[in-house]
Amino acid sequence: MLSQSFSGGIVIPNPHPVEIVEIILAPLPDKVVLPLQQRIGDEAIPCVKVGDKVLTGQVIAKTEDHFCVPIHASISGKVVTIDERTIPHKSGLKSKCITIESDGKDQWVEHKGCGTDFLHCDQSTMIEYIQASGIVGLGGAGFPAHAKLEGIQDCHTLIINGTECEPGIMCDDALMQSHPREVIRGVEILLHICGAQRAIIAVEDDKQEALNSLLMYCHNDRISIEQIPTKYTSGAEKLLIKALLGIEAPSGGFAIDMGVVCQNVATTKAIFDAVIDSRPLVSRIVTVTGSGVESPNNFEVRLGASFEHIVSMSNPNDNQHAVRMGGMMMGVDVKDTTVPICKITNCIFVNDVLEKPDTQECIRCGKCNQACPVDLLPQQLYWYAKSENTDKAMDYNLADCIECRCCDYVCPSHIPLAEYFSFAKALYRKSTEDQYRTDIARERFEFREYRLERNKQERTEMMAAKKEELKKKMANDKSKKDKIAAAMARVEKTKKKKDDA
Amino acid sequence: MMRQVIYALTLGVVAAYYFFGWGVVVQIALAVVTAIAVESAFLSIRNRPIKPSISDGSAALSAILLAISIPSIAPWWVVVVGVAFAIIFGKQLYGGLGNNPFNPAMLGYAFLLVSYPLQMTTWASEFLSFSQSLDVIFNLTSVDSLSGATRLDDVKTQLALGGFISNLELHSTSQAWINLSFLLGGLYLLFRRIITWHIPAAFIAGIVVISSVLYFIDDQIYLPMQNHLMLGATMLGAFFIATDPVSGSTTPKGRLIYGFLMGVLVVVIRVFGGYPDGVAFAVLLMNMIVPLIDYYTQPKVFGK
Repeated sequence: MLSQSFSGGIVIPNPHPVEIVEIILAPLPDKVVLPLQQRIGDEAIPCVKVGDKVLTGQVIAKTEDHFCVPIHASISGKVVTIDERTIPHKSGLKSKCITIESDGKDQWVEHKGCGTDFLHCDQSTMIEYIQASGIVGLGGAGFPAHAKLEGIQDCHTLIINGTECEPGIMCDDALMQSHPREVIRGVEILLHICGAQRAIIAVEDDKQEALNSLLMYCHNDRISIEQIPTKYTSGAEKLLIKALLGIEAPSGGFAIDMGVVCQNVATTKAIFDAVIDSRPLVSRIVTVTGSGVESPNNFEVRLGASFEHIVSMSNPNDNQHAVRMGGMMMGVDVKDTTVPICKITNCIFVNDVLEKPDTQECIRCGKCNQACPVDLLPQQLYWYAKSENTDKAMDYNLADCIECRCCDYVCPSHIPLAEYFSFAKALYRKSTEDQYRTDIARERFEFREYRLERNKQERTEMMAAKKEELKKKMANDKSKKDKIAAAMARVEKTKKKKDDA
Repeated sequence: MMRQVIYALTLGVVAAYYFFGWGVVVQIALAVVTAIAVESAFLSIRNRPIKPSISDGSAALSAILLAISIPSIAPWWVVVVGVAFAIIFGKQLYGGLGNNPFNPAMLGYAFLLVSYPLQMTTWASEFLSFSQSLDVIFNLTSVDSLSGATRLDDVKTQLALGGFISNLELHSTSQAWINLSFLLGGLYLLFRRIITWHIPAAFIAGIVVISSVLYFIDDQIYLPMQNHLMLGATMLGAFFIATDPVSGSTTPKGRLIYGFLMGVLVVVIRVFGGYPDGVAFAVLLMNMIVPLIDYYTQPKVFGK
């Protein structure tokens, strides 16, 4: 089935399994909050004012940054505020957000793409549609889809990531079961754009239903569907490529360096919508799960709706909850359920608040390096990260850590290793930046010294030259004087002669 | 985790009890009490929380390992001094659990062996009852009638006196049974994934290789491989002492090198050294080069 898998990784059963994976269409929210700061790039600049009427799918903010995508209204209604609000982010960041109050009509802007007969469209038009529709990686990374597809040369394989990135998340599974036709058509579009010979859709071996529904709609012999073992971190792009093709992307390199383009299934479906009828991305599928809800489920929900909007539909219990966006492993804790759903919100974990076990000393048992999917030595890295010896940590390949938290999960001493590594990385970045700044400052200083020295030298040289000139002049003057004196003497002589005569 | 190791030691302790009597149990009790008292005292001096460190079982484990390494009839102060040394100089002075470069139990053992060679090499020759053991340990009766040297010690002495392997009694039923019990306990640890196979396998391989080579060179002055495996602290060392994660190598490849060289050193010290058994010194010597091994055996990182 597989050429070879990567070493490490951990098997974690879904903590809150459901019998039937399905998608519930969430009702239109009364209002949506749309952050202008995307995952990467500049903050978008609003192109609507408070009080403006907007239609669903209308562009409400954009930037000149080619790396970014425009932001669309996800419901029709009225812009009520443009202000700073807390967004779901690791650091509890605030960002400028546009708030739209729904008019309940959900009137769409006109949109028209390549149509179902997409093969007549050229690649660049398709990529334009993809960017204009605001498609970013929906697997959780939020990398703009068009940026991955532009300027592709020599792509031999397209990989469609249908692995759920973390245990407990079911949104991609639900999507593959409910929209297999769109996914397959989306793959065909991507094949057309990339010029790849073949596409592989990777599905984990515990998702039989999803596999069956994809197989039912897949009649293209360039597309194959492969099952991979259900193991955490096999959703990570480079590790998935290793598992499917047996090739390792170089450290610091990208998949495309090896002729591989990777897209998530949900992104593929969104690309299908974008290319066929240039329909902007205004909703996504979100899993709500965790020990704090009684019925974990998947919802198709408009972007910008609050977490609460769908959490309330999953029968939360009355306990105090810890809310987390993304998976149990790599997700980020958010303060509560008032924050808005954004394009990278693949899952909302609502957990009962539990006491964390106390951290103990590292005894170098090595369980972490057995679990590490990129073969690092977390036990050694921990030592250096803790003592803030970032150079040594970089020596031990700190930069290659993908912060998947497998090491945390298996650590018998409950040490939050990945946090140490993330911190050490930040520290290293800062120190190199500082180094860069001092280097620049020193260069500037040295150049100034050189310039002053040069000026001084030039001036002395100039002075010397002038002096020389003056001297010459003086010398000339002397000869003149001599001539005058001689003339005078001659005059005197003739005078004398005359007198004598 | 430490608890599991302690449970796994039980079988070997029972075997030692069967051959040496109650002294084994008394030594363990003395050692554990001393370890907990010394560790608590030091933690309170260092202003560290006491309860989590005591309940992780690491001090008790070091104490038990040391207690079963020393003769069951050694005077009480031997084990007390040894354990105190192990905990203070082997562990707490470096910053406690996780920071010690040397295996504390073996540091304590080496300290005792160098300081009190007589007490450390006089083993019980028969099963001693509870009261007999107490009498001996607390110096109430002379030990001479109840004691003798170990087989390794005996062989060494005989060879030094000009004896040949073929004329010597090499086998020791008690030692063989104790080693087998520790082997079983070690397999339990492997089965429970408390330890990985690398160090024990490499350790045993090291012993097998070096002793076979020596035996091949001269089978009259060097012990055969099976005796090296079944005498002394071989199995205890392979599964319980060499596998101490804190002071040992931590990379998969490094563990193989670490274990193998340690096995070689054990035999070298037994054969050419001044002491009957070499596990403690082999462990301490190998502890010293762990940073070097770990540095040069880093696994290949994904994509590099």
